[in-house]
Amino acid sequence: MAGSLALLRRLYLTIYNWTVFVGWFQVLYFALKTLKESGHQQVYDAIERPLQLAQTAAILEILHGLVGLVRSPVTATLPQISSRLFVTWGILWSFPETRAHILVSSLVISWSITEIIRYSFFGVKEAFGSAPSWLLWLRYSTFLLLYPTGITSEVGLTYIALPYMKESEKYCIRMPNKWNFSFDYSYFAILILGFYVPGSPHMYGYMLGQRKKALSKSKRE
Amino acid sequence: MKVSVVSRSGREVVKAGIEISDSATVADLQEAIYKRTKKYYPSRQRLTLPLQPGSKERPVVLNSKKSIKDYSDGNSDTLTVVFKDLGPQVYYSTLFFWEYLGPLIVYPIFYYFPVYKYFGYKGERVVYPVQTYALYYWCFHYFKRIMETFFVHRFSHATSPLSNVFRNCGYYWSFGAYIAYNVNHPLYTPVSDLQMKIGFGLGLACQVANFYCHILLRNLRSPSGNEGYQIPRGFLFDLVTCANYTTEIYQWLGFNIATQTVAGYVFLVVAALIMTNWALAKHRRLKKLFDGKEGRPKYPRRWVILPPFL
Repeated sequence: MAGSLALLRRLYLTIYNWTVFVGWFQVLYFALKTLKESGHQQVYDAIERPLQLAQTAAILEILHGLVGLVRSPVTATLPQISSRLFVTWGILWSFPETRAHILVSSLVISWSITEIIRYSFFGVKEAFGSAPSWLLWLRYSTFLLLYPTGITSEVGLTYIALPYMKESEKYCIRMPNKWNFSFDYSYFAILILGFYVPGSPHMYGYMLGQRKKALSKSKRE
Repeated sequence: MKVSVVSRSGREVVKAGIEISDSATVADLQEAIYKRTKKYYPSRQRLTLPLQPGSKERPVVLNSKKSIKDYSDGNSDTLTVVFKDLGPQVYYSTLFFWEYLGPLIVYPIFYYFPVYKYFGYKGERVVYPVQTYALYYWCFHYFKRIMETFFVHRFSHATSPLSNVFRNCGYYWSFGAYIAYNVNHPLYTPVSDLQMKIGFGLGLACQVANFYCHILLRNLRSPSGNEGYQIPRGFLFDLVTCANYTTEIYQWLGFNIATQTVAGYVFLVVAALIMTNWALAKHRRLKKLFDGKEGRPKYPRRWVILPPFL
């Protein structure tokens, strides 16, 4: 009984990882194609649907961690997924004025390369039990460049959206009201930008540690 | 006796170990380690007995008041202790003072000073009675906490890691500012007079009850802190293990009923979750200690923190 449950888990995770892989592959493909053919202003429209699907599917990963299907700690995945969803839905989808910016291109290219490597890595591991060493190397090395480019893009796009947030008052709740509650989306966005200050070195440092562990372990094997 | 002091990775923390009298206490040993290492004052040291490799048990922590003879197993000319640096420490009273001082100072700033001008709200503020009473209630609460810190509480540990100062102050000061901002807001909407009275009435009653709980807890510990845990008894403790947390939670509920802000209720929920965590650990510890065997009393059936839920 336990054996077939483990098999089911492996099957589910294999399908999950490869499906999301296809989504991110589309993002990268259409992004690069549009950049070449039309220019950076059109990139968002070309990748909107696959980006939203692939990125939002990542919510499942929090669930996977919570129910113990995977070993990743929720504390590491939650901040990462939250910032991705914030930028995907809270900035790009909510404020179309940001979509023509060139940072959109750097954003989706950074994200999609990272995710293509990550999902294929886990997809291969779940399907075949282990991943080739070159894929392991990619997974624990590309972040060195792609984290800074991705984070810069996320912060930059959030910053660009601020005046549009203020002007449109979108998602804002004003006082007076019965519950004496107010919410200002642009202050909220600034607060989130504040979290990037300790958060980015923390995540980068965490990955450096993971890199050291993973690459030295494979050397010894 | 020669005591060998090693780190958890096996490295010698004190070269060639420490020569110390057989009748010395663990506190003496800690002093000696401090003298040799110069950096690790006693409250920073956590000394444990070495565990068998692969053992899943929790290591035995050396109690500073005991004698080192109690930890050596008969071949009494050597002892190995495992050392862990707990990091820079502050007194608990220092930690509590700073975390409570923030709310005590920050809240009145929103009440008395024209802060809202800088948020874009021009013109005069109308101040409702409930906002004034809320100010008095809030400040009394944190003043009470500071007084209890210095005159009532007997702490199980003298110190806490320095990093907790930043974490705890962040928590208290941020929530203090958040709630103060909303309650003193120029566009604040007060609740009915009756609701305000019920809220503050409940809150004050619970603050008094909470104070009495703290007195009872204080009397469970002797001034030297030698005797370890006792079963709390009397007043609400006969019903609830952590009646002090219960009264604290209901006290904040009273404040929120009177002031009705989302900020206040968020604070209530977070605080209740934190206290529930502590209460579960305490309840579990007491039940384990007072298991009714070997002449020990058995811990009575009680609510943990919030009847009728938990």
